[in-house]
Amino acid sequence: MRAAVDAPVILEGRGLTMRFGGLVAMAEVDFTLRKGEILGIIGPNGAGKSTLLNIVTGLYRPSSGEVRLEGERINGLPAHRIVAKGIARTFQSSRLFGDLSVLDNVVIGRHVHMRCGLLDAILRRGRAEAELREAARRAAELLEAVSRTLYAQRHRPAAELPQADRRRLEIARALASEPKVLLLDEPSSGMDDADTDALMADIRAIRAARPELALMIIEHDMRLVASLPNRVLVLDYGQKLADGLYEEVRLIPRVQEAYLGRKAAQHARP
Amino acid sequence: MAAQIAQQLLNLITLGSIYALIAVGFSLLFGVLNIIHFSHADVALTAPFLALALMPALAGTLGGASSPAGFALAALLAVAATGLIGSVLYATVIKRFRNAPAMMALVATVALGIVLRELIRHLFPNGSNPHAIPRLVSGNLALFGTSVPLFNLVAIAVSVLCVGALFFILGNTRLGLHIKAVSQDRDAARLMAISPERIFRLTFFIASAIGAVGGLFFSGYAGIVRFDFSVDVGLIGFSAAVAGGLGSMPGAIIGSLLIAGIDTLVQATIPNGASYRLVFVFLLVIAVLVFRPSGLLGRTVVEKV
Amino acid sequence: MSASKLRHPAVAAPRAIALVAAIEAAGALFLRQFLLAEDGRLVVALLALFGAALVTMQRRPALEARIEAAFADQARFATGLGLVLVLLFPFVLEKSTYALHLLVIGQLYAVLALALNFQLGSANIPNFATGASYGIGAYASALLALNWDVSFWLALPAAAIVATIFGFLLGVPSMRTRDSYLALVTIAFGVVIHQLLNNLEFTGGPNGLVGIPAPELFGHSFAAPLVILGHDLPSQANFYYLSAVLVGIAILFARRVHDSRVGLAWNALRADELAARCQGINATWYKVLAFAVDAFLAGFAGTIYAFYVGFISPDNFTFLVSVTIMTMVIAGGMDNTLGVIVGAFLLTLLPEKLRAFSDYRILFFGVTVIAFLMIRPQGLFPQRLRRYGA
Repeated sequence: MRAAVDAPVILEGRGLTMRFGGLVAMAEVDFTLRKGEILGIIGPNGAGKSTLLNIVTGLYRPSSGEVRLEGERINGLPAHRIVAKGIARTFQSSRLFGDLSVLDNVVIGRHVHMRCGLLDAILRRGRAEAELREAARRAAELLEAVSRTLYAQRHRPAAELPQADRRRLEIARALASEPKVLLLDEPSSGMDDADTDALMADIRAIRAARPELALMIIEHDMRLVASLPNRVLVLDYGQKLADGLYEEVRLIPRVQEAYLGRKAAQHARP
Repeated sequence: MAAQIAQQLLNLITLGSIYALIAVGFSLLFGVLNIIHFSHADVALTAPFLALALMPALAGTLGGASSPAGFALAALLAVAATGLIGSVLYATVIKRFRNAPAMMALVATVALGIVLRELIRHLFPNGSNPHAIPRLVSGNLALFGTSVPLFNLVAIAVSVLCVGALFFILGNTRLGLHIKAVSQDRDAARLMAISPERIFRLTFFIASAIGAVGGLFFSGYAGIVRFDFSVDVGLIGFSAAVAGGLGSMPGAIIGSLLIAGIDTLVQATIPNGASYRLVFVFLLVIAVLVFRPSGLLGRTVVEKV
Repeated sequence: MSASKLRHPAVAAPRAIALVAAIEAAGALFLRQFLLAEDGRLVVALLALFGAALVTMQRRPALEARIEAAFADQARFATGLGLVLVLLFPFVLEKSTYALHLLVIGQLYAVLALALNFQLGSANIPNFATGASYGIGAYASALLALNWDVSFWLALPAAAIVATIFGFLLGVPSMRTRDSYLALVTIAFGVVIHQLLNNLEFTGGPNGLVGIPAPELFGHSFAAPLVILGHDLPSQANFYYLSAVLVGIAILFARRVHDSRVGLAWNALRADELAARCQGINATWYKVLAFAVDAFLAGFAGTIYAFYVGFISPDNFTFLVSVTIMTMVIAGGMDNTLGVIVGAFLLTLLPEKLRAFSDYRILFFGVTVIAFLMIRPQGLFPQRLRRYGA
């Protein structure tokens, strides 16, 4: 997995700053993400992790700075266009389409790969139907590959799924758009250890099937952060504290302070 | 000419203060409960009917059924009763939609407004017809070289008083503190032993009572009231709150004055302008919304993800 | 998408056909009795019967599943039989012009409710201007016919296009504003259209437009009785068939859009707009599209109404019309085509059949909406999950 170091850069941010009124949520943050790399983003609550994700996915427009996907500037584009360019995401508090079936959730994830509009649906029904059936077939395939339990429940409303399956479904829905970059916002939140282990196995399997896919994972669970990412980016108060291998980053005193609080950090040091 | 302008200006401020009494309610309820109470004006406009209904009953005790004092007392009672109606409607119906999709709350409150109007129409004697509203005060006052109707001055003064009282309550009292706490963080407020439900009922009472004052002055200004006046009043009051920025009290006041300005201008300059006034009011609101989606003084809301 | 044979409990074909036939015949018979009932007590009894049928279905999901499976397996037979019943229905109404009139109005409202369902049901956009779009369609076609002698058949698409353009305009603010503001915009739009119709000279002011000529088809005037195989039906039958065709088109529309990328995108917006945008759905475009579709169908309905009654005035297209349409969608069942149509018929016929209701009609609509939203927000017929043919 260390091979990512010399892979080409797929996504990069330069000087990203985000102000809400007088509040600076993010100041001059740079980052790079390479093809096939997993970048972990850590930091205490309110450090700006979600802000970064929201900027990259176009939900926020940065006050200054830019985001480039394969060299092309994407900040300023609306969120739905950015998905079409190849960036997909999940949400911390799962935001599934609860009253639709599990399968429909994934079919909607394929929205950017479908073409039929309203007139096609009405006047060229065969085409629209064939397109949707094909999308449903591929969605079912994807579901089966991601999780057999999910696949077995594909005709149930998504709202009825247990927590761990909801998170899996969110990942499957994001993968359905066939992204180049996948952003996971605290995928393990609300999970117990067993579920987190299963999640890590899922992410590894997804990576194994898609060696080119680059991932950015916001995480609090240090077990996950220690084992999955190639590299870790530490944010605090909207600024970048460190960026490097987890084993190195975790030794930096400022990171420990940010994470554990000043006092605890002093105690933790030998 | 100058006298005419002064006259129009007075009309503008009078209308603006009356609209503001309705608009602040919309804004307050949205700010605290995050709900748009589309039947707010329908609640407010029950007040003149309640006052009319109370008059005969009070006539015995005060003598002279339509004396100004009799009407003033009836109006006062009606304001309190309207406040109660507001909080009862909250507790029985609106409460259920607080956590529902916005669409449901919206449709439910629109329907609630219809029910209120129809109830007035069916329950009030001759409910479909317009009813005369006695003016609280009559007579004129010579001011700045023109004669100014006393009613306008009273309307303005009472409006300023009511809105001032509202600002005072929100800014300087325990109740105001609790309202702010509940509107910002319900769970934290609960931890501080504030019951959000009680605050919500009280907020509804306050908003509806202030709205009732507006409803009384609106019908007093027109001289009549009819069961469906609340449609226009509601649209104007809500438009004012939206133009000013929902959730912002000063915004609601500015929005009301702005809309009263358009209203006065259209009526003064366009022949048959009265029948087009809503058209212009809405054009203004749509223009505001297109250029400043959160209203003039509204804060841009960033959705938490 | 109806070919979901594998997933349903198997029903033997002859039994399925019998079941479909029995249910459709019962439905038609029920509607006939309801339309011809004169005694209030009979109407109440019929309503009780309807309620009992609904409760039975609710209590016994197995029965409901069997009926559903039968209709899915025998979709062609069900559609064919339905068409035959619709065609024959006017012949069993004892030439009652009143019953036919109610059917025409009921069908027009069914189209309007299906139109609104695209927005309210599929995408959860509250639109209080469907009545206005209906009015725009009616006025546009009437003006074309009165001023330029445009025939009904040309005025029909022209009016729908005019209504659609207004629908697009109405949808434009949705690009910038949130849902609650959007509701204000739609209410305002409805009020503005009503005021304009009331005050403009070329729309005839409060008196409206009179003398809209009846449509003609191959020399047959729709104002004349309809003679089929020696059987003559009152002139309303012409419009009955015309509006039935429109209902058919609206159902086709609804089905096809529901089972397409567009229907899915609307459902996604309904569930969670932000998450939908993050799946690549252009929320603004799909909202505007929903407005346009609503206005398009409403424009059609408006044209038929104008040519049917022959005169229109602003009061035919008030805010209350919009609320009535909304009540039908909510009571019938959002995002359920059958439910919406049943809702439209029920709420058109009820005030006509029960005198007690007709005085309190608007009150009744208001209470119905609140009661449904509080007690049964999914409506009489809840939405169904999509089943792909796998």
